[in-house]
Amino acid sequence: MLIIDAPRFRVTNAVLKGARVLGRLLLGVETSQPNVAAARPLLTPEQFQEELAILGFSGREFGPEEYSEALGNYLGISIAIYIIPDAHYPELARRLASAGRLAELRYSEELGIAAIIVPGSLPPLVLALTILHELGHLAAGDHLIEPSRESQREDLHKHDRETAFATSRISRGNRLARALPLAEESLREQEANLRASYALVAGCLGIESPYAHEMYNIL
Amino acid sequence: MSVAQHQHLVLGGVSFVAFVVFVCLIPFSRRTWFSEFAALNLLLATLMFGSVTVLDFSGWRAEVLAALLTELPVVSVVSWVCLAQAGHLPVRREALPIEPVACRPRLGIVLKTAPLFLLLAWVLAAVIGLAWPSPAMQAYAPAPPEFVLFKWTMMAAEGFYSSIAALVFAVAARSTALDLRLRLKNLTFCTGMLCIALIALVSASFAGVRLWVSSESRRTVLEALLTLETYLAAICLFSFAFGLALRYTPIISGTLLRQIHSGWLLAQERFESLTWRAITSGRVRGAIRASHHIAEAADLQGLSDSDAEKALAAVQLVAVMQNPGTDIEHITPETARELYELQEEILNDEALASKIGWTTRWRPHTHEIQTISSAPLHDALEVALDLVDYHDEQPDNRPRPLWHHLVAVSVADVGLVDPARVRARLGHQPEHRMALDTYGAVKSELRSRTLNDRETTSQDGWRVK
Repeated sequence: MLIIDAPRFRVTNAVLKGARVLGRLLLGVETSQPNVAAARPLLTPEQFQEELAILGFSGREFGPEEYSEALGNYLGISIAIYIIPDAHYPELARRLASAGRLAELRYSEELGIAAIIVPGSLPPLVLALTILHELGHLAAGDHLIEPSRESQREDLHKHDRETAFATSRISRGNRLARALPLAEESLREQEANLRASYALVAGCLGIESPYAHEMYNIL
Repeated sequence: MSVAQHQHLVLGGVSFVAFVVFVCLIPFSRRTWFSEFAALNLLLATLMFGSVTVLDFSGWRAEVLAALLTELPVVSVVSWVCLAQAGHLPVRREALPIEPVACRPRLGIVLKTAPLFLLLAWVLAAVIGLAWPSPAMQAYAPAPPEFVLFKWTMMAAEGFYSSIAALVFAVAARSTALDLRLRLKNLTFCTGMLCIALIALVSASFAGVRLWVSSESRRTVLEALLTLETYLAAICLFSFAFGLALRYTPIISGTLLRQIHSGWLLAQERFESLTWRAITSGRVRGAIRASHHIAEAADLQGLSDSDAEKALAAVQLVAVMQNPGTDIEHITPETARELYELQEEILNDEALASKIGWTTRWRPHTHEIQTISSAPLHDALEVALDLVDYHDEQPDNRPRPLWHHLVAVSVADVGLVDPARVRARLGHQPEHRMALDTYGAVKSELRSRTLNDRETTSQDGWRVK
């Protein structure tokens, strides 16, 4: 789950919004609507491999901590992972479990801080994948989606094609993924799951990953 | 036959030999998109060089045209290699860029421009050559400045992009962690591209010599340059042929890996998280009590940590499967069976199963790595399914470890499974008797501890001790 603390007013945001309004008025362009070219399929392992190369992890073994650190450096934000000891706070784990959630990602645009809060009682595999899942949201740029666009999810989804899904517009900020974040929340969750599983496997295989080898075997 | 015709005959011969080598020596299974493209290009080059050798070019414009045509195969090969390095080949949508380019996006942008600028340079050279014709095919004749402009326009672009491509291959070949075969492959491609860059340099120098060097020494220099160009062409073709013949097959199958990504890993995560949610939220009847008893029994019997973990996981799984609750997503014996079968498939590949693991270091005092094969879920699933999802009540004669019997006794005791069925299936095994005795002893011990605790607690709930 992603919670964003966006600043109430910013000059850059206001200028961008103003430009969009002007674009609509002068050119008749409805900028808030996605175009068909913005549709894309879900992340592939090959695309994830490119992301790993950018972070310097292609062909290297790594864990969630290293991935988090490298991602934070690349995005220019500070990412903190809090593993809550359930023995001391059993109510937190119970609340998350009852709500059907495993973790929480909080992002403050103003402070440039992302915090991942995870109960320590999760099984080890789930814990690793949950942390990587939340990091996957940051890598995809889901935290940059403008809150005002959230309400248009349903309309955006109508533009779906067979395997391509509509993307969402984002505010200014760094993201690791090449493509824009997906418009529909359930698809963003699905993609974050994929990113987590790609990361876990790539981090374990290191140089033995066939995708890492593919990057050296292009002809 | 003129010197230029002779030179083109040699180059055509080299191209043809390379084409024959490719067709005869590289089997179908080892052919890639690039190798097929290169072979086609070699055939094209042979035809071009051959036609230039055979046909009589009278007139400078015809010579310029012939010179332009012979450059086309080089332009297309350099463009293809640059696009492949940038991961932008139109025929391969899922193609990855080469590693040094992937981590330098700007380099990727430069490489992607290769076809455009190479073609532009070729067109510009064509315009220059046709507007101001020059003796392009007369190797030793003095040339006008237009010839230098014509030649340098093409060679600058070819030299630039092939040098960059060679550099990128060299960086890729430097990666020490790589398999030797892959390093060698990149090194041979680096040599091939370097040769193209040097050929461009030699060709540009050739034009310069024809313009600026006096007639006495010109022939000697040009002969040396032509010989060098031939050798470079031969080395280039040999390097590419050798590199393409070095086929590398990764140890880990991509198909199995895709199955892990999109099938097993997500299914296992979903399974374990649903179990955790059900147990943590307290929605599962009997699980806490049974787990408590199991932990004590395992301690009493001196079971290993691994066996104790498996027993606890099995108890939780039985509890979750027998208490589906009201969630839309819940664990059923069918979904558990599917996951178990998926795990079996992955575990067949021992190398992969022992490689893929996850740390438990997030928890204090534990630093082990759990792998697919060492994680408790697989064995726990087998036991849970054995207790929940069976279709006959015949005695089970397969020898079961003690922790299996402890789980059976425990889940029967808290009413998660029918005790009579457990007795009928496992009761005849000696370990079952041992498990029953241990479990009974643990229960008595815990009961007496609870009674003692109650006695030391006052009526208003405050401890008196």
